Amino acid sequence: MFKMGSLFRSEEMCLAQLYLQSEAAFACVSELGELGLAQFRDLNPDVNAFQRKFVNEVRRCDDMERKLRFLEKEVKKDNLAIDDTGENPPAPLPREMIDMENKFDKLETEMKSVNSNQEALKKNFLELTELKHILRKTQQFFEQTHVPQQYDDETPLIASEFSRSFNRFGVHFFYYRFVAGVLMRDKISAFERVIWRACRGNVFLRYTEIEAELEDPHTGDKVNKYVFIVFFQGDQLKSRIKKICTGFRATLYPCPETPQERREIALGVMTRIEDLQTVLNQTADHRRMVLSQVALNIRVWLIKVRKIKAIYHTLNLFNVNAEKCLIAECWCPVVDIDRIQLALRRGTELSGSSVPSIMQQMQTKENPPTYNQTDKFTSGFQAIIDAFGVSNYREVNPAPFTIITFPFLFAVMFGDMGHGLLMFLFALYLVLKENRYMKHKPEDEIFKMMFDGRYLILLMGLFSIYTGFLYNECFSRSINIFGTSWNFLMEFRLTLDPNKPGVFRGYPYFYGIDPIWQSAENKITVQNSYKMKNAVLMGFAQMIFGLSLAFCNRRHFKDKLTLYCELLPQLLFLCALIGYLCMCILYKWSVWTVAQSNTAPSLLIGLIDMYMLTDPKSNNRVPLYTGQYQVQIFLVIVTVLCVPWMFLSKPYILYKRSNNTQDDICCFSLYDRLITQSMMEAGGLDSQSDDDVAILHHENNDANYGKQEPESFDMSEVIIYQAIHTIEFCLSCISHTASYLRLWALSLAHSELSEVLWSMVMHTGLATSGTSGAILSFFVFWFFSSLTVSILLVMEGLSAFLHAIRLHWVEFQSKFYKGEGYIFSPFSFTLIVEGKVE
Amino acid sequence: NKVSSFKIKLENGGFLEGLVRGFKNGISKEDYRHLTQCDTLEDLKLHLQGTGYGHFLANEPSPLTVSVIDEKLREKLVIEFEYIRNHAYKDLATFLDFIKYSYMIDNIILLITGTLHQRQLSELLPKCHPLGIFDQMETVTIASTTADLYNAILVDSPLAPFFKECISEEDLNEMNIEIIRNTLYKAYLEAFYDWCQQKGGATADVMCEILAFEADRRSIIITINSFGTELTKEDRAKLYPRRGKLYPDGLLELSKADEYEAVKRVSELYAEYKPLFDGTGNNPGDKTLEDKFFEHEVTLNVNSFMQQFQYGVFYSYVKLKEQECRNIIWIAECIAQRHRAKIDSYIPIM
Repeated sequence: MFKMGSLFRSEEMCLAQLYLQSEAAFACVSELGELGLAQFRDLNPDVNAFQRKFVNEVRRCDDMERKLRFLEKEVKKDNLAIDDTGENPPAPLPREMIDMENKFDKLETEMKSVNSNQEALKKNFLELTELKHILRKTQQFFEQTHVPQQYDDETPLIASEFSRSFNRFGVHFFYYRFVAGVLMRDKISAFERVIWRACRGNVFLRYTEIEAELEDPHTGDKVNKYVFIVFFQGDQLKSRIKKICTGFRATLYPCPETPQERREIALGVMTRIEDLQTVLNQTADHRRMVLSQVALNIRVWLIKVRKIKAIYHTLNLFNVNAEKCLIAECWCPVVDIDRIQLALRRGTELSGSSVPSIMQQMQTKENPPTYNQTDKFTSGFQAIIDAFGVSNYREVNPAPFTIITFPFLFAVMFGDMGHGLLMFLFALYLVLKENRYMKHKPEDEIFKMMFDGRYLILLMGLFSIYTGFLYNECFSRSINIFGTSWNFLMEFRLTLDPNKPGVFRGYPYFYGIDPIWQSAENKITVQNSYKMKNAVLMGFAQMIFGLSLAFCNRRHFKDKLTLYCELLPQLLFLCALIGYLCMCILYKWSVWTVAQSNTAPSLLIGLIDMYMLTDPKSNNRVPLYTGQYQVQIFLVIVTVLCVPWMFLSKPYILYKRSNNTQDDICCFSLYDRLITQSMMEAGGLDSQSDDDVAILHHENNDANYGKQEPESFDMSEVIIYQAIHTIEFCLSCISHTASYLRLWALSLAHSELSEVLWSMVMHTGLATSGTSGAILSFFVFWFFSSLTVSILLVMEGLSAFLHAIRLHWVEFQSKFYKGEGYIFSPFSFTLIVEGKVE
Repeated sequence: NKVSSFKIKLENGGFLEGLVRGFKNGISKEDYRHLTQCDTLEDLKLHLQGTGYGHFLANEPSPLTVSVIDEKLREKLVIEFEYIRNHAYKDLATFLDFIKYSYMIDNIILLITGTLHQRQLSELLPKCHPLGIFDQMETVTIASTTADLYNAILVDSPLAPFFKECISEEDLNEMNIEIIRNTLYKAYLEAFYDWCQQKGGATADVMCEILAFEADRRSIIITINSFGTELTKEDRAKLYPRRGKLYPDGLLELSKADEYEAVKRVSELYAEYKPLFDGTGNNPGDKTLEDKFFEHEVTLNVNSFMQQFQYGVFYSYVKLKEQECRNIIWIAECIAQRHRAKIDSYIPIM
């Protein structure tokens, strides 16, 4: 699948026209959908969604999908596992659609009848259970009221007002009538108040909660309810209370007055509940049986229906001018034309059509979509680029270079062996387990993001180990591998000065930074200067690389004008300004020795002098090298000359050209027409009827003439555009170089932060001696490690990541990348079935 | 300082405001044009899928009916509103409750009228607006006098404060139900208006404008509808909400009006309402006064979205969504009844 070099530029695309026999169209589109390499264009943009040709079929699919969703919901309700075999069934032919519809219809009606049966039964069951509870609870009410009856009314108990009135009710119990029912828990307080007010306090209400949760037969939710009983006198109150009860949707149950009757009813209810339970179980079994069948197949069905729907959607994009064939236009990669043609042939064969489907390339002035083939490794890097902007068609794609430069720049800021190792191991885990995670898509969005970037993180970790090795830092500690090249002086505060005799052994540490610096007082001073200069060097290298990619672009698009009038002065400008500075840095590093360090010239002052056009000798400064002044004067002149070159040359040439070409346009269009015609004739459209050719001809002409209109040349616009670009480039040379200093700043911050964490946390644990030290270390370690992960790995990692992104998007890509293309989104079943595309 | 006030505003419903602004986008002008071209309700459904309404009808089996669409549209609005209400607190919660009160009033009146006409409760309940449902609502059927209604039922409901003016021992009949409705509405509008004014800031600017219009609209409509009924002029004057631009002079004039022309004369003294009366009439092609009022309301509500950090957007969102639903239902009705001549007389939302 992955071809070398294909990532460098996006795939070559072409616009093709397909002539599909109407009986073969379905099968052909189905094959193309499996292939997923063609992006269809809407040929009827003015037609409403509901006025298109295959709208009825789409609607039927919608209906099938609805039924399947209903069945799926029922399956999920019963907690049945949906069978996922990973099978990918092909889209069924249109004639099978009716069978499917019938099947789903039958299942749906069956399911619905089962459901309504079950609901009726459950409702019945609920009523009986509620009645059971009422009987049981009211029994308690009655018993409670009977208890005080045994006492004498006069006995001075601690009778409160309430209990006395309560007693009174109890005594005259049989003169009162009552209503008993069941009510939702959340309504009980409002109910109590309304009933009290509406009946002016002439009723007595008791209620208590049913401990068991009841099931709502309609929704299947668990609900809590209360049993209540209202005592009252008179018919008027009765009707009133009943109205209130209906108002609160309470269910009332007949409740006999004598205990014997209640007991009898309770017995009857119990037996009926038992009977009902068996019936309910049987219904549930039946339902389960039906659903298990559904669960086995529903995934395949859903895929099939979605595929059919997608096919009809696509067919709706086609032009149906002629009766017997459909005309489609699609973008496809040039390299895959053979595969598309093969798919078309297969589709035609499958449908049994005798007339072949025809594919023909079209000429167009439209911008083709950008199609970068990626695999699981490159997709993460491509995503970073695409997040900034999809590259123009055939423009140099920065993604392949990003694979190395991104983790590297990240690692420069994040250099620490320990942290890098942890990151690497985390990513390695994701990579090793990727098959498992691919199958069961992670739900968590943040985790998903990290999973998608697992190879990126892997490389970032790996590179961080390397830079950490160079910086000689592992959780901010240094490791002495090759033996230090400095002699210790027995000072407590260690300042390393190579000029002192006997301190430096004369040969450098073998690789990376000497571990002795870890304990040196002047560590930061030395490293700052070193890392800062490194940052400028790396920045310059990347910017020059960006410009050379711009060169590739210009070469590819044969844009000599921009190459010579824009790119070349840009290159000179950058080299003369920043390149010279880099040269100076390297020269000073290699030629000037430690012994001369006191007299060595400052590069910064040198740079300022260069643009002040002052001779270093005149200020009694030591020159970096002989002839410095002359070289610098020359470079300044080059720099200054580059500006008008960039600004004026291109607009001038464009202006000249526009004057020349205005006369030629008529000839051009005539020539074009001739070409189109001859193309038509050579096109081999024998099998098509005449009006098809006419259509094609017409459209082609449209396409060509639409674009052929000479763009009106507006000098002021060109000048303004050019001025903006020139100013932007000149300023950005300075600001971008400065911006690369973030490499130094972040690496400094990271190493300082990890050192602080070590000395403030871990060190205190390790410094304590004895048993208490061991225990302390144990606890401190957890604290230390959690802070390491949360602050140093996650937070610092994120910040370095963002800065690396910025360096790529702004500093690097601004040199060559337009990013104004649009992405190739082929008609592909894999995407549709996964639900990524409508 | 600006930043800190910004922050305070954000904490006070900024998230919800953003949400509402997102919810607002339903149907564009273009969509309306397409909708009116539909031949069947299935077409309508298909087209609505492409708009902000998405798949709200996806689980409805064919054939569709207008009432199903209506129910689903309403359900969608209610879900969105309840979501916002559940996330609101303090002032915003009060504000949103105020929006709900008007639906509660409508529901109570609906139930009382229904009971007077011997309708069953089960028949009436589905017609109640779900935003206006409260616990005691369904028991209003037991009340025979307004005092009863208040003492037994509404005293615990949030509507109690609005009810003070209409308590009497008279039996409920059609006439005084109308009076109750209007008195309730009057009290409600005045309370809402005062609350917004006291809240101050952009909320007051926006909401007072909208509520003042609402108050005036009620006054005008009450006057027009009262012609030829037993309602005396003094009683009528008591029903006018006293917060609109017509208050006090305009209302005084209105209370004297005997005919439509008089109302028109009064309203034309006000720059805002003059255009509404121009060009209305019963001739074909003319818009009704009601539609003109709706249009003006829509304009006010759309304008409310121009300002940030104020509660007006929540009110306007509900009103605009309601109008949009009414439009869709209108179009759906026209399609269903094959009565296409008037299909274009929906109220466009700019």
